[in-house]
Amino acid sequence: MAINYDVPEDKRALYWLGDKLIEWRNPVMVVVLLVTGYFAYCAMQLQLVTSFGDLLPQTHEFVKVHNKYSGTFGGANNIVVMLQVKEGTIFTKDNLTKIFKMTEGMDTVYGVNHNQVESIGHRTVRHLRVAAGGTLRAEPVMLRAPQSQDEVEEIRRIVHNAENVYGLIVSLDDKSALIRANFIEGRLDYKRIFDEVNTKVVAPFEDANAKIFVAGEPRLYGWVYRYAGDVFWILVVTYCIEWVLRWMYFHDWRGSLRPTLTGLIAAFWGMGFIHIIGLALDPLMLVMPFLITARAVSHAIQMHDRYYEEFEKCGWNKRRAIVASFAELFVPTFSGVITDALGVLVIILVPVVMLQKLAITASWWILAITVSEMLLNPIVYFYLKAPEPELVVLRERGWFRKQIERFTHVLMSSAGRAVTLGGWTIAVLVGLYFMRGLTIGDPTAASPLLFTNSPYNVSHTQIQESFGGVEPLIVVSEGHDKDAMKDPQTLRTMEKFQRTLERDPAIGYSFSLADIIRAVNRVFHELEPKWAVIPDSWTDIGGLFFIFFSGSPPTETAKYVDPSYTTAHVTFFAKNHQGDNIRRIIARCRTFIAENPMDKATFRLAGGLIGVLAAANEELVRNDILMNFLGFFTIWIILLFTYRSFSCGLYLLGPLIASNIIVNAYMAVNGIGVNIHTLPLVTVGVGFGIDYGLYIVSRIIEEIRIKGDLVESTREALVTSGKAVTFTAVTMIVSTAFWTSSHIRFNAEMGLLLAIWMGISYVGSQTLLPILILTFKPKFIMKEAHYTQTQAQAAAAKRA
Amino acid sequence: MELNLYTSAAIVLGFSFLVVGLDEYVAKPWRKARWEKRAASGDKEAQEMLRIAQSAHVVDE
Repeated sequence: MAINYDVPEDKRALYWLGDKLIEWRNPVMVVVLLVTGYFAYCAMQLQLVTSFGDLLPQTHEFVKVHNKYSGTFGGANNIVVMLQVKEGTIFTKDNLTKIFKMTEGMDTVYGVNHNQVESIGHRTVRHLRVAAGGTLRAEPVMLRAPQSQDEVEEIRRIVHNAENVYGLIVSLDDKSALIRANFIEGRLDYKRIFDEVNTKVVAPFEDANAKIFVAGEPRLYGWVYRYAGDVFWILVVTYCIEWVLRWMYFHDWRGSLRPTLTGLIAAFWGMGFIHIIGLALDPLMLVMPFLITARAVSHAIQMHDRYYEEFEKCGWNKRRAIVASFAELFVPTFSGVITDALGVLVIILVPVVMLQKLAITASWWILAITVSEMLLNPIVYFYLKAPEPELVVLRERGWFRKQIERFTHVLMSSAGRAVTLGGWTIAVLVGLYFMRGLTIGDPTAASPLLFTNSPYNVSHTQIQESFGGVEPLIVVSEGHDKDAMKDPQTLRTMEKFQRTLERDPAIGYSFSLADIIRAVNRVFHELEPKWAVIPDSWTDIGGLFFIFFSGSPPTETAKYVDPSYTTAHVTFFAKNHQGDNIRRIIARCRTFIAENPMDKATFRLAGGLIGVLAAANEELVRNDILMNFLGFFTIWIILLFTYRSFSCGLYLLGPLIASNIIVNAYMAVNGIGVNIHTLPLVTVGVGFGIDYGLYIVSRIIEEIRIKGDLVESTREALVTSGKAVTFTAVTMIVSTAFWTSSHIRFNAEMGLLLAIWMGISYVGSQTLLPILILTFKPKFIMKEAHYTQTQAQAAAAKRA
Repeated sequence: MELNLYTSAAIVLGFSFLVVGLDEYVAKPWRKARWEKRAASGDKEAQEMLRIAQSAHVVDE
């Protein structure tokens, strides 16, 4: 059927395209279904995987150091197990046997680095013993589980005299002992490690008197995987609520079904693509696909609402209504999808692999909405039976519409305009005041991924309280030549470094090669405390090292110093990883290194969890402002092309910038820091927030062409597009807010944060945007007021 | 109870069919009867709505 009825001249091509899509519906449908089927097949193969390496900014100097030395000196992938007794001390036959067997169990967990297990029950933790003939031997603290009370007493004596044990892996009150194990980064299987630690290290040894606590990054991700199953409950409940909400809005099951098809097809394309390019879903980022699907559904609701409106306007002609709704909403929908996709794509600039993967996959997923929403939309409507006229009439005259009309009336009154402008000004000023407290990195001591009362964070807190600090910061002392670590000045500088940084309140304790040499020297001199110093000559130091390390294989000694004595490390154990603390510790390290140069070696920052988090935080600071600027700038450029106006972007972005300030203030007040996980979500919020404004501005332009009056056009836009925007905002907020029920605190808080983002940007688009337009009468809208007149004159001239 | 991909898909599919069935065979007839009853009792809004709906000539090609 040709377009043989009156259509707006500048949209004739879109009307033609809509009509052709219906005409060619069968081949288009077959092609789309085949491609969707293939993507659906690929999507089914998708797995949930988190890779710690992907969370790190690989180009940062700290991460390069971490990658280079984590295999020998230990990395960020430590699991710390603490056995704590309620009554008595750990020095009983039963408790020491437990520690020994737990250590054996830990040594058999998949992926463990066998040379980087620390426990009084492990061969690598040694003490010096004077043997017959006055020779010294470095022997393991426990060679076997104690067989008698005498052996227990001997172990107690050894522990209390070993600087590398007492206070470090056995608490000063003798009630707790640590088993610390480092895992090989390439063999991190979080689920398996989680299960094996439970079955081999925790379950068999916990009883009424002995409590076992487990912390560390692999354990944390194990919990995250365990809680990832929440997503299915959230999916099911949200789906059902959304279906009911849409049914209540449209009074028709087609209104529930159609947006679902859009979301489903986009999800298949998105997830299939993720699998095809060899990536996986990250359990910490599950809220993102959910948000994208919700966004797809929102676009579909707009289209469905417009279809019903056009159905009545077009004299109940289904095909004309389909084509009209397609053509009239093409610009705001397409612009919305493109701004969403490009807004997300700027995340690619952050040099963190996980964020770059997210940027690529989310952009593709969002672009897939163009297929499901725009290409298939006219075809699906054509296949579905036309809605009953009474439903359309009922919807147009229903309670919801009346409420929107009432609100619009109040908003556009003089008092409403004054309250709107005044209210937003105050909100922004208050937001600016509070957002000063926004922190980069984690603002809390516990892991922000899980709730404070979660088993993981409870364990983490218990271990921190018993040992003062368990999160390592590894500073590598890189020698210029072999035997550099035997240089007295090098060792003294390392020791000075320890004493300097230990004054920081966030540092619990530290350990380096200097501690070993001092302890060995003291034992060598009949335990005289005055000999617990670093000797003055290379030869003495070399001799002491020989005594300590001679009984150990290089694989064991490598965790302290490399076999050629070129490189060693100073490890500080921090009490927490709060962003402010990390920043201060790293600043102190840099100051010390600058003021204390070594002749034979150089300090290199920094490995361990604190080191890589410092790198991530520094990258976030570097990229946060840039990303926000580029996010807004990209949207402005798209708006420039869409509406051919420089000022249009200012009107649409103004409410979004205000929303961003308020959301940042909310984050600051509620202790949510900007970190690798929160950064993309805020950026996505900016991209998605613009969509509401696009639908309203497009409708104002459309109406002013017919009515020629700005006030009436704005009123009409708010009660038509604004009504659909209100409903989509409600559905978006409901679907994201439901994530607050997740056990994963990160997802729960991000769900809440995004719901707030959507809520504030919706209120901005429904109040601030129209009032700004009414107050300043922008040229890009006002020039359209004479459209009908101009068109009529042009037609008359053509006829003449 | 723990859900997985397949049990979730089954639940949402079942729920969708339930909504479609309830809408077609329960809600719509009930709504129509309610409007007719209101129109018969002299409700102007209901009469107007029914008039528009009945006079509408749907072109569903």
